[in-house]
Amino acid sequence: MSERSVSKQKQEKRWYTVQAPEQFDREELGKTPADEPDKALGRTIETTLGDLKNDASGNNTKLTFKITEVASDTAYTEFIKHELTRDYLRSLVRRGSSKIEAYITVLTADDYRVQIQPVALTTKSADESQEKAIRRTMIDLVRENARERTFEDLTDSVVEGRLSSAIYNEAKTIYPLRRVEIQKMTLEARPEEVAAEEEASVDVDE
Amino acid sequence: MAEDETWGIAHVHASFNNTIITITDQTGAETIAKSSGGTVVKQNRDEASPYAAMQMAEEIAEDVQAQGIDGVHVRVRGPGGNQQTNPGPGAQATIRALARAGLEIGRIEDVTPIPHDGTRGPKNAGF
Repeated sequence: MSERSVSKQKQEKRWYTVQAPEQFDREELGKTPADEPDKALGRTIETTLGDLKNDASGNNTKLTFKITEVASDTAYTEFIKHELTRDYLRSLVRRGSSKIEAYITVLTADDYRVQIQPVALTTKSADESQEKAIRRTMIDLVRENARERTFEDLTDSVVEGRLSSAIYNEAKTIYPLRRVEIQKMTLEARPEEVAAEEEASVDVDE
Repeated sequence: MAEDETWGIAHVHASFNNTIITITDQTGAETIAKSSGGTVVKQNRDEASPYAAMQMAEEIAEDVQAQGIDGVHVRVRGPGGNQQTNPGPGAQATIRALARAGLEIGRIEDVTPIPHDGTRGPKNAGF
Protein backbone atom coordinates (compact mmCIF):
# COMPACT_ATOMS: atom_id res chain seq x y z
CA MET A 1 0.00 0.00 0.00
CA SER A 2 2.54 2.54 1.10
CA GLU A 3 4.91 1.98 -1.83
CA ARG A 4 2.13 2.85 -4.16
CA SER A 5 0.71 5.70 -2.15
CA VAL A 6 3.81 7.86 -1.84
CA SER A 7 4.45 7.84 -5.54
CA LYS A 8 7.19 9.66 -7.32
CA GLN A 9 4.77 12.24 -8.54
CA LYS A 10 3.78 13.14 -5.02
CA GLN A 11 7.33 13.39 -3.77
CA GLU A 12 8.03 16.10 -6.27
CA LYS A 13 5.28 18.22 -4.87
CA ARG A 14 6.00 20.84 -2.29
CA TRP A 15 3.73 21.85 0.50
CA TYR A 16 2.93 25.53 0.71
CA THR A 17 1.74 27.08 3.92
CA VAL A 18 -1.29 29.23 3.31
CA GLN A 19 -1.43 32.47 5.20
CA ALA A 20 -4.38 34.74 5.92
CA PRO A 21 -4.23 38.38 4.82
CA GLU A 22 -2.87 41.04 7.14
CA GLN A 23 -6.37 41.99 8.17
CA PHE A 24 -6.69 38.61 9.86
CA ASP A 25 -3.29 38.75 11.56
CA ARG A 26 -1.54 36.56 8.99
CA GLU A 27 -2.84 33.48 10.72
CA GLU A 28 -1.89 30.12 9.23
CA LEU A 29 -4.84 28.68 7.35
CA GLY A 30 -3.49 25.35 6.23
CA LYS A 31 -1.25 23.73 3.69
CA THR A 32 -1.58 22.80 0.06
CA PRO A 33 0.70 20.71 -2.15
CA ALA A 34 1.66 21.73 -5.68
CA ASP A 35 4.37 20.75 -8.11
CA GLU A 36 4.68 24.25 -9.50
CA PRO A 37 4.09 27.43 -7.51
CA ASP A 38 1.84 28.81 -10.26
CA LYS A 39 -0.55 25.93 -9.84
CA ALA A 40 -1.33 27.00 -6.30
CA LEU A 41 -2.62 30.36 -7.50
CA GLY A 42 -6.37 30.77 -7.50
CA ARG A 43 -7.05 27.96 -5.09
CA THR A 44 -9.51 28.77 -2.37
CA ILE A 45 -9.36 27.73 1.24
CA GLU A 46 -12.19 27.80 3.70
CA THR A 47 -12.08 28.18 7.46
CA THR A 48 -14.47 29.19 10.15
CA LEU A 49 -14.18 32.41 12.06
CA GLY A 50 -13.85 30.36 15.23
CA ASP A 51 -10.74 28.63 13.93
CA LEU A 52 -9.19 31.86 12.80
CA LYS A 53 -9.79 33.87 15.94
CA ASN A 54 -9.72 30.96 18.38
CA ASP A 55 -13.12 31.58 19.87
CA ALA A 56 -15.92 29.08 19.63
CA SER A 57 -18.64 31.68 19.07
CA GLY A 58 -17.54 32.18 15.49
CA ASN A 59 -18.14 28.61 14.42
CA ASN A 60 -21.17 29.52 12.35
CA THR A 61 -19.28 31.71 9.96
CA LYS A 62 -17.26 30.42 7.08
CA LEU A 63 -14.59 32.58 5.52
CA THR A 64 -13.09 31.82 2.15
CA PHE A 65 -9.69 33.01 1.04
CA LYS A 66 -8.12 32.86 -2.38
CA ILE A 67 -4.43 32.40 -3.02
CA THR A 68 -3.04 35.37 -4.92
CA GLU A 69 0.69 35.17 -4.46
CA VAL A 70 3.21 32.43 -3.79
CA ALA A 71 6.67 33.07 -2.40
CA SER A 72 9.15 30.31 -1.50
CA ASP A 73 6.97 28.06 0.64
CA THR A 74 4.29 30.48 1.70
CA ALA A 75 1.13 31.32 -0.16
CA TYR A 76 -0.58 34.65 0.44
CA THR A 77 -4.30 35.04 0.22
CA GLU A 78 -7.03 37.59 -0.05
CA PHE A 79 -10.47 37.54 1.49
CA ILE A 80 -13.20 36.71 -1.00
CA LYS A 81 -16.22 35.37 0.83
CA HIS A 82 -18.00 35.42 4.14
CA GLU A 83 -20.86 33.02 4.62
CA LEU A 84 -23.02 31.57 7.37
CA THR A 85 -23.05 27.81 7.63
CA ARG A 86 -26.10 26.13 6.26
CA ASP A 87 -27.06 24.39 9.49
CA TYR A 88 -26.91 27.63 11.48
CA LEU A 89 -29.03 29.55 9.01
CA ARG A 90 -31.54 26.73 8.95
CA SER A 91 -31.68 26.68 12.74
CA LEU A 92 -32.72 30.34 12.74
CA VAL A 93 -35.72 29.81 10.52
CA ARG A 94 -38.87 29.05 12.47
CA ARG A 95 -42.50 28.53 11.70
CA GLY A 96 -44.76 31.52 12.12
CA SER A 97 -42.05 34.11 11.73
CA SER A 98 -40.86 36.02 8.73
CA LYS A 99 -37.50 35.81 7.09
CA ILE A 100 -36.55 38.98 5.31
CA GLU A 101 -33.70 38.81 2.86
CA ALA A 102 -32.05 41.34 0.63
CA TYR A 103 -29.38 41.09 -2.02
CA ILE A 104 -27.37 44.24 -2.43
CA THR A 105 -24.51 44.84 -4.81
CA VAL A 106 -22.48 47.88 -3.82
CA LEU A 107 -19.26 49.68 -4.61
CA THR A 108 -17.08 50.43 -1.62
CA ALA A 109 -15.18 53.66 -1.09
CA ASP A 110 -12.09 52.17 -2.72
CA ASP A 111 -13.99 50.76 -5.70
CA TYR A 112 -14.33 47.12 -4.77
CA ARG A 113 -17.63 45.65 -5.86
CA VAL A 114 -19.17 43.38 -3.26
CA GLN A 115 -22.48 41.67 -2.83
CA ILE A 116 -23.95 41.67 0.66
CA GLN A 117 -26.90 39.56 1.69
CA PRO A 118 -28.40 40.51 5.02
CA VAL A 119 -31.18 38.46 6.55
CA ALA A 120 -33.57 39.46 9.34
CA LEU A 121 -35.79 37.12 11.32
CA THR A 122 -38.82 38.41 13.16
CA THR A 123 -40.42 37.09 16.31
CA LYS A 124 -43.83 36.74 14.70
CA SER A 125 -45.06 36.82 11.19
CA ALA A 126 -44.77 40.38 9.89
CA ASP A 127 -46.98 42.13 7.37
CA GLU A 128 -45.82 42.66 3.83
CA SER A 129 -45.53 46.41 4.42
CA GLN A 130 -43.39 45.86 7.49
CA GLU A 131 -41.20 43.42 5.61
CA LYS A 132 -40.78 45.96 2.87
CA ALA A 133 -39.87 48.68 5.37
CA ILE A 134 -37.28 46.45 7.03
CA ARG A 135 -35.83 45.49 3.68
CA ARG A 136 -35.65 49.18 2.78
CA THR A 137 -33.67 50.02 5.92
CA MET A 138 -31.35 47.07 5.33
CA ILE A 139 -30.61 48.22 1.81
CA ASP A 140 -30.13 51.85 2.82
CA LEU A 141 -27.83 51.00 5.71
CA VAL A 142 -25.68 48.66 3.66
CA ARG A 143 -25.40 51.20 0.82
CA GLU A 144 -24.46 53.96 3.23
CA ASN A 145 -21.93 51.81 5.06
CA ALA A 146 -20.30 50.63 1.87
CA ARG A 147 -19.99 54.10 0.41
CA GLU A 148 -18.11 55.37 3.46
CA ARG A 149 -15.83 52.45 4.03
CA THR A 150 -12.96 50.78 2.27
CA PHE A 151 -13.25 47.11 1.41
CA GLU A 152 -11.13 46.18 4.40
CA ASP A 153 -13.22 48.18 6.86
CA LEU A 154 -16.40 46.82 5.38
CA THR A 155 -15.26 43.21 5.74
CA ASP A 156 -14.26 43.96 9.31
CA SER A 157 -17.66 45.35 10.15
CA VAL A 158 -19.39 42.41 8.49
CA VAL A 159 -17.17 39.77 10.09
CA GLU A 160 -17.37 41.31 13.55
CA GLY A 161 -21.11 41.72 13.25
CA ARG A 162 -21.20 45.51 13.57
CA LEU A 163 -23.15 45.93 10.35
CA SER A 164 -25.79 43.40 11.35
CA SER A 165 -26.25 44.94 14.80
CA ALA A 166 -26.57 48.37 13.19
CA ILE A 167 -29.35 47.00 11.02
CA TYR A 168 -30.92 45.35 14.05
CA ASN A 169 -31.01 48.59 16.03
CA GLU A 170 -32.44 50.52 13.13
CA ALA A 171 -35.07 48.00 12.08
CA LYS A 172 -36.32 46.78 15.44
CA THR A 173 -38.55 49.83 15.75
CA ILE A 174 -40.44 48.66 12.66
CA TYR A 175 -41.15 45.17 13.91
CA PRO A 176 -39.66 43.12 16.79
CA LEU A 177 -36.71 41.22 15.40
CA ARG A 178 -35.23 38.01 16.68
CA ARG A 179 -31.98 38.08 14.81
CA VAL A 180 -30.19 39.96 12.06
CA GLU A 181 -27.23 38.44 10.29
CA ILE A 182 -25.22 39.00 7.16
CA GLN A 183 -25.72 35.64 5.54
CA LYS A 184 -23.25 36.18 2.77
CA MET A 185 -20.76 38.67 1.50
CA THR A 186 -18.85 38.04 -1.68
CA LEU A 187 -16.17 39.96 -3.47
CA GLU A 188 -17.34 40.43 -7.04
CA ALA A 189 -14.75 42.68 -8.63
CA ARG A 190 -11.55 44.44 -7.67
CA PRO A 191 -10.90 48.12 -8.48
CA GLU A 192 -8.96 47.26 -11.64
CA GLU A 193 -11.76 45.08 -12.95
CA VAL A 194 -14.36 47.72 -12.17
CA ALA A 195 -12.29 50.31 -14.01
CA ALA A 196 -11.82 47.99 -16.97
CA GLU A 197 -15.56 47.43 -17.15
CA GLU A 198 -16.23 51.12 -17.13
CA GLU A 199 -13.75 51.61 -19.94
CA ALA A 200 -15.37 48.90 -22.00
CA SER A 201 -18.91 50.07 -21.38
CA VAL A 202 -20.71 52.04 -24.04
CA ASP A 203 -22.99 54.94 -23.33
CA VAL A 204 -26.48 53.89 -24.24
CA ASP A 205 -28.47 57.06 -23.73
CA GLU A 206 -27.87 59.81 -26.17
CA MET B 1 -5.58 25.23 14.29
CA ALA B 2 -3.05 23.14 16.21
CA GLU B 3 0.59 23.64 15.31
CA ASP B 4 2.28 21.62 12.63
CA GLU B 5 -0.58 19.35 11.83
CA THR B 6 -1.56 18.73 8.27
CA TRP B 7 -5.24 18.66 7.66
CA GLY B 8 -7.24 17.53 4.71
CA ILE B 9 -10.84 17.42 3.64
CA ALA B 10 -12.74 14.16 3.36
CA HIS B 11 -15.46 14.49 0.77
CA VAL B 12 -18.02 11.79 1.35
CA HIS B 13 -20.61 11.38 -1.35
CA ALA B 14 -23.09 8.94 0.11
CA SER B 15 -25.89 8.07 -2.25
CA PHE B 16 -28.23 5.14 -1.94
CA ASN B 17 -26.38 3.13 -4.56
CA ASN B 18 -22.78 3.88 -3.73
CA THR B 19 -20.43 5.74 -1.43
CA ILE B 20 -17.52 7.70 -2.82
CA ILE B 21 -14.80 8.96 -0.50
CA THR B 22 -12.21 11.43 -1.71
CA ILE B 23 -9.61 12.94 0.54
CA THR B 24 -8.07 16.16 -0.70
CA ASP B 25 -5.86 18.88 0.71
CA GLN B 26 -7.48 21.84 2.42
CA THR B 27 -8.07 23.75 -0.76
CA GLY B 28 -9.78 20.80 -2.39
CA ALA B 29 -7.50 21.14 -5.41
CA GLU B 30 -5.23 18.16 -4.87
CA THR B 31 -6.56 14.66 -4.35
CA ILE B 32 -4.63 12.63 -1.82
CA ALA B 33 -6.63 9.42 -1.80
CA LYS B 34 -9.93 8.17 -3.12
CA SER B 35 -12.10 5.11 -3.00
CA SER B 36 -15.58 3.98 -3.86
CA GLY B 37 -17.82 1.08 -3.02
CA GLY B 38 -16.74 -1.12 -5.91
CA THR B 39 -13.21 -1.45 -4.60
CA VAL B 40 -14.25 -3.51 -1.59
CA VAL B 41 -17.42 -5.43 -2.46
CA LYS B 42 -18.41 -7.68 -5.34
CA GLN B 43 -22.14 -7.18 -5.49
CA ASN B 44 -23.41 -3.91 -6.89
CA ARG B 45 -26.12 -3.68 -4.33
CA ASP B 46 -23.58 -3.74 -1.50
CA GLU B 47 -21.70 -0.69 -2.70
CA ALA B 48 -23.73 1.65 -0.53
CA SER B 49 -23.64 -0.54 2.56
CA PRO B 50 -22.15 0.71 5.81
CA TYR B 51 -19.83 -2.26 5.82
CA ALA B 52 -18.29 -1.29 2.48
CA ALA B 53 -17.94 2.28 3.69
CA MET B 54 -16.11 1.06 6.75
CA GLN B 55 -13.66 -1.01 4.71
CA MET B 56 -13.02 1.89 2.38
CA ALA B 57 -12.51 4.35 5.19
CA GLU B 58 -10.02 2.08 6.92
CA GLU B 59 -7.98 1.63 3.77
CA ILE B 60 -8.09 5.29 2.94
CA ALA B 61 -7.15 6.34 6.45
CA GLU B 62 -4.05 4.19 6.30
CA ASP B 63 -3.09 5.55 2.91
CA VAL B 64 -3.60 9.12 3.98
CA GLN B 65 -1.73 8.78 7.24
CA ALA B 66 1.22 7.36 5.31
CA GLN B 67 1.21 10.61 3.37
CA GLY B 68 1.31 12.69 6.51
CA ILE B 69 -2.28 13.83 7.06
CA ASP B 70 -3.24 14.00 10.72
CA GLY B 71 -6.83 15.12 10.59
CA VAL B 72 -9.69 15.77 8.25
CA HIS B 73 -12.67 18.04 7.99
CA VAL B 74 -15.61 16.12 6.63
CA ARG B 75 -17.99 17.24 3.91
CA VAL B 76 -20.92 14.91 3.58
CA ARG B 77 -23.33 15.01 0.72
CA GLY B 78 -26.34 13.00 -0.32
CA PRO B 79 -27.67 12.75 -3.86
CA GLY B 80 -29.27 16.19 -3.62
CA GLY B 81 -30.67 18.12 -6.55
CA ASN B 82 -34.20 16.91 -7.10
CA GLN B 83 -33.46 13.64 -5.30
CA GLN B 84 -33.07 12.89 -1.60
CA THR B 85 -31.29 15.50 0.48
CA ASN B 86 -30.29 13.02 3.16
CA PRO B 87 -26.94 11.28 2.90
CA GLY B 88 -27.07 7.54 2.30
CA PRO B 89 -26.20 4.73 4.71
CA GLY B 90 -22.45 4.95 4.07
CA ALA B 91 -21.95 8.44 5.45
CA GLN B 92 -22.13 7.75 9.14
CA ALA B 93 -20.08 4.58 8.91
CA THR B 94 -17.36 6.41 7.02
CA ILE B 95 -16.97 9.12 9.63
CA ARG B 96 -16.94 6.58 12.41
CA ALA B 97 -14.34 4.42 10.71
CA LEU B 98 -12.13 7.41 9.92
CA ALA B 99 -12.20 8.44 13.54
CA ARG B 100 -11.53 4.88 14.71
CA ALA B 101 -8.54 4.65 12.39
CA GLY B 102 -6.89 7.46 14.29
CA LEU B 103 -7.60 10.43 12.06
CA GLU B 104 -8.71 13.52 13.87
CA ILE B 105 -12.12 14.74 12.76
CA GLY B 106 -12.64 18.49 12.52
CA ARG B 107 -15.75 20.12 11.23
CA ILE B 108 -18.49 18.03 9.75
CA GLU B 109 -20.49 19.87 7.16
CA ASP B 110 -23.42 18.93 4.97
CA VAL B 111 -22.84 20.04 1.39
CA THR B 112 -25.77 18.35 -0.31
CA PRO B 113 -26.71 20.40 -3.35
CA ILE B 114 -30.06 22.04 -2.69
CA PRO B 115 -31.87 23.49 -5.66
CA HIS B 116 -33.27 27.00 -5.47
CA ASP B 117 -35.82 25.49 -7.77
CA GLY B 118 -35.22 23.74 -10.97
CA THR B 119 -36.73 20.84 -12.84
CA ARG B 120 -39.39 18.51 -11.53
CA GLY B 121 -38.08 15.56 -9.59
CA PRO B 122 -38.42 12.01 -10.89
CA LYS B 123 -40.68 11.14 -7.95
CA ASN B 124 -43.20 13.83 -8.74
CA ALA B 125 -43.22 13.19 -12.46
CA GLY B 126 -46.47 12.19 -14.05
CA PHE B 127 -48.53 14.95 -12.51
